[in-house]
Amino acid sequence: MTAQAPVKRKASSFAALLIQRREVLLLLVLVALLSAVSVRVRGYIPNNWLNILKGGSINMVMAAGMLPVLLIGSIDISVASTLALSGAVSGMLMRDGYIATVPGMILVGLGVGAVIGALNGSLMAWGRVLPIIVTLGMSYIARALIPMDWLLGLNKISRTNLTDSFKVFMLDNTFLRLPYLVWTAVIVTFVIGIFLRYTRVGRSIYAVGSNESAALVRGVSANRVKLLAHTICGATAGLAGILWLGYYNSVEKSTATGDEMYVIAACVLGGVSVTGGYGKISGVVIGAVLIAVINSAIPQLNIGNSMITEFIKGLLLLATILLNVILGWVMRKRELAQRSI
Amino acid sequence: MKQRLKRILLSWEAMLIVVFAIVCVAFNQQDASRQAAGLSKKDVFNLASVIKSMRPYMLYSFMTLGIALILAMGDIDISAGASAALSAAMLGILYKTMMDAGVPSGLSLALALVGCVATGTLCGAANGFLVIRFKELFPMIITLTTQLFFRGVAFLLLGGGTLTFKNDKTFDLLKTLYNTVTIGGISIPIVIIVFLAFAAVFYVWLHLTANGRRIFALGTNSKAAYLSGVRTDKIKFTMFTICGLLSSVTAVFFVGATSSSIRADSMVGYEMYAIAAAVLGGFSTSGGKGSIVGVVISLFLFGVIKIGLGTLYGFADSMVNMSVGVILILSTLLPNVAAQINAAGRVRKRRASSLV
Repeated sequence: MTAQAPVKRKASSFAALLIQRREVLLLLVLVALLSAVSVRVRGYIPNNWLNILKGGSINMVMAAGMLPVLLIGSIDISVASTLALSGAVSGMLMRDGYIATVPGMILVGLGVGAVIGALNGSLMAWGRVLPIIVTLGMSYIARALIPMDWLLGLNKISRTNLTDSFKVFMLDNTFLRLPYLVWTAVIVTFVIGIFLRYTRVGRSIYAVGSNESAALVRGVSANRVKLLAHTICGATAGLAGILWLGYYNSVEKSTATGDEMYVIAACVLGGVSVTGGYGKISGVVIGAVLIAVINSAIPQLNIGNSMITEFIKGLLLLATILLNVILGWVMRKRELAQRSI
Repeated sequence: MKQRLKRILLSWEAMLIVVFAIVCVAFNQQDASRQAAGLSKKDVFNLASVIKSMRPYMLYSFMTLGIALILAMGDIDISAGASAALSAAMLGILYKTMMDAGVPSGLSLALALVGCVATGTLCGAANGFLVIRFKELFPMIITLTTQLFFRGVAFLLLGGGTLTFKNDKTFDLLKTLYNTVTIGGISIPIVIIVFLAFAAVFYVWLHLTANGRRIFALGTNSKAAYLSGVRTDKIKFTMFTICGLLSSVTAVFFVGATSSSIRADSMVGYEMYAIAAAVLGGFSTSGGKGSIVGVVISLFLFGVIKIGLGTLYGFADSMVNMSVGVILILSTLLPNVAAQINAAGRVRKRRASSLV
């Protein structure tokens, strides 16, 4: 009995690791997927790693912004519309010659996004409207502003409307072999991660998410935290609009329709709880990378027609999310069995 | 009696009717002034024409009933549009396969319709199963992923193209679903008649039977409902299944409306229209409240607003969408603000009286 004890403790510590650190499991799924693809497509990782990172950057930026929103138990389904609006506004300003520089574009993008996010947040905090209603309505409104005659009246921003320096900036400029597009995602992720983990305000976001009334008693203004979380989310979505312009060089009113689902999926895959209070940036990163890998790998597998991609994407997401829960059950059961309960 | 009258007059449905009346009067006024200014020859905003042009906005009405059930339980289903698209795909594929196999066309269509409804029901049942089996995951997350999955299957079946049946007399029977029938001199779309029949059944079930009240009990407080003997899991599973079934009914009418052309990316965003209509009708995503009467009124209200803004004011689609967004937010914001002001007033009164 005693001889077996260390082995048991080892097993239970691995189980505990899997329960406490959901991202470990996700990492295993990611490795499994990458190796499965590598077996079929020769040289998949060396040839594609940069494309995976580039393709996933926009989703990553938005997912990092979605994290604080999910942490307070709220949700934002207007991010894709915010992306389109911010891309349209900044693209038009560049087309008409008001801004020519990249920092200017980024500021406009962040600003447009932050305004929409702040509006979302205040309607929820002081208007007491449910998050899904506010952001559903806002997703209609933001997208509708783009083609409206008396406001933007935009049909399409295309390659010719953008200055050369902007077009070069995101993709062609590199630092340590990575384009600035990827670096933007890295910086945003780091800033939000450090903010959530090490600052007082960041911790109050977790506090509001795990127990709002307890946070109120403790002296945290839940309304202000809600406003802040949604402003961050809006700002990152606005920044994503600039990244979109930099990556695809075009924006129109239907840009990124439905992409909010992938943003939320990245967070959920990363183990972020939608009821709030639990979730880490590391998980979100792995979730976003996983989605980027799925997006890039499935078309290269050459299974049937290209439409099978959609099917496999859905299946993989569903399977990973369910696997996460089922493994949680198994681990918990094993732990209880080991304590002979 | 007086109390009851007051309650009815102050109810959400009554307010919706008032808004509906105001909108109609305003649109009528605009119509008259446009005629006076010679912008249009005849009046475009009259009962007959509005009812007729209501058709495209009634396609998602069935789905809205299903979503309303889910909202009453405090859950949400965002896979409804995708399961409708999958049902429509199945309808087309089954019909085509059976025709190719030499089955008589009438029988093929009947079997394809059965297959279509069965597909929708199955999608709903899958959602329901996942929701009650994986309680750690929220219905929002589950339906978010199943939505991608259902649409993926639809893409797999149709391969990204459009499936059409040109000059197929039997399949064109579906088109008659989008026709109108003349009752009392007014031509009423079949969609509206069928929807009102559905709504009547749902009204009786949801509001007048113990079974229906249990759904609201579950939405108000699921633990309390469970402890007082409501089989919460069974109800949840059934409601998601019914929502899937209603999505497939929407799919059948949609195929009829779009001249029998079937695409995997059709009905994108229908679930959002349905959620918007249900919420305006008084249902809340936090569950436990709402009424079918409100949903019926709000569906018609959305339809009238879309028709009016489009034809009378010449607003583009995006502007119409924007007004939907604004209405959606205001419809929950205003009552909340009113309640807050009311509560603040009560506090002030109490303070004033305690000083005396």
